[in-house]
Amino acid sequence: MEGHQRNLYLYDRFNARVVGVSRDDVTTLKYWANGLGITFPLLSNITAFLGAYFDIQPEGKPIFGRRTVIIDKTGIIRYVRDGSPDFKDILLFLKKLNQEGGKP
Amino acid sequence: MKRKLLTVLCFVLVAAWLSGCASMQTSKKVPYRLTPQGTVVWEDEFEFMPPSPDWKLLRVEAGENDINFGFMRSDPGPFPSVTTFAYDEDPFGCTAASFEGREREFFKRFLFNAILQFQILNRKKVQVVGGEGLAVLVEGKDPVKKEKVRAKVVFGKRGDRIVGFYITQWRPMDGSYDLSAFDVFDKFVASFKFLKKSFYETL
Repeated sequence: MEGHQRNLYLYDRFNARVVGVSRDDVTTLKYWANGLGITFPLLSNITAFLGAYFDIQPEGKPIFGRRTVIIDKTGIIRYVRDGSPDFKDILLFLKKLNQEGGKP
Repeated sequence: MKRKLLTVLCFVLVAAWLSGCASMQTSKKVPYRLTPQGTVVWEDEFEFMPPSPDWKLLRVEAGENDINFGFMRSDPGPFPSVTTFAYDEDPFGCTAASFEGREREFFKRFLFNAILQFQILNRKKVQVVGGEGLAVLVEGKDPVKKEKVRAKVVFGKRGDRIVGFYITQWRPMDGSYDLSAFDVFDKFVASFKFLKKSFYETL
C-alpha cells in the first residue's frame, strides 16, 4: 500500500484512482492507514463480498491473496495480476490506458 | 541394411535432441560491468565504487519494498555478526516532500521484524547523489535476544522521489562494532551516480 501511496501523483497524472481492499475491520484499517500515512480509500471487506462480486474468490479458500485489478471508466476489468503489485507494470498500463482515452 | 539405417536415424535423432538441450541453456546475463576506472556500472543505470571482494553481492528479486542490490560480509564473532549495505530505490515511507518526514516513516518499518529499541545517535544534512540529503545514524537493541545493530541510513533525491542507502551491522549485545565497514559504506554512497533518469521520471 505504501507503494501505491508513493505513486499517487503518477496515478493522478494518468487520471487513475486507487482503492485498497482488505479483510480487516474498519478500526484496524483506520489505525493502519494512519500509521503508514495512507490517504487513499481503504475498503473493509470482512465478509469477502468484493471477492465474490468480482469473481476472484478462490474456490474453497476462506481468504484471497494479493491481487491488483484495474477497471476502466466503463467498468470493464482491464488488468488482473496476482501477487505483490508490480508498480512499474501498473504505471505503464495506466499510462497506456490514459493515452487510449480509456480513463481508469 | 534396414537395421543400419534405423541405427543411424536413431543416432541423428539423439544428437539433434542433445544439441537442442544444449541450445536451450541460456547464458546468465550479468547486470553489471567494470570500468577501467575501477567503478561498477549497474544495468547502465548506476555507477559506483564497489567494496573489496570480501563483500558478497546481494540481490533480491524486484517487488514491493525490495532493495535493488547491496553487499554483505560475514564478520568475525558469534551470531549475528554480519554487515550488509544496500541501495534502495523506494525506501519505506511515502513522503517525498521532506527527508525528515520520510525518516519518521522509514523508522516505523525499518528492521520492524526484529522489534528493536532504536536510539538516534546522529542526524545530519549531507551531500549525496549530487544534491542535499540526510544521514541518520542509529543503534537498535534487542534486550530479549541480546543482540544489537548499528545502522546508518542516507536519504537522497532522484527526481521527485526519495531514495535511500543503508548499512546494518549486527552484533551480540556484548560485541564491538567494526566501524571500518561504515567507511566502506560511506565511500560507496559518495561514489554513487545516476547515469540516466529513473523509470518514474520517464513516465
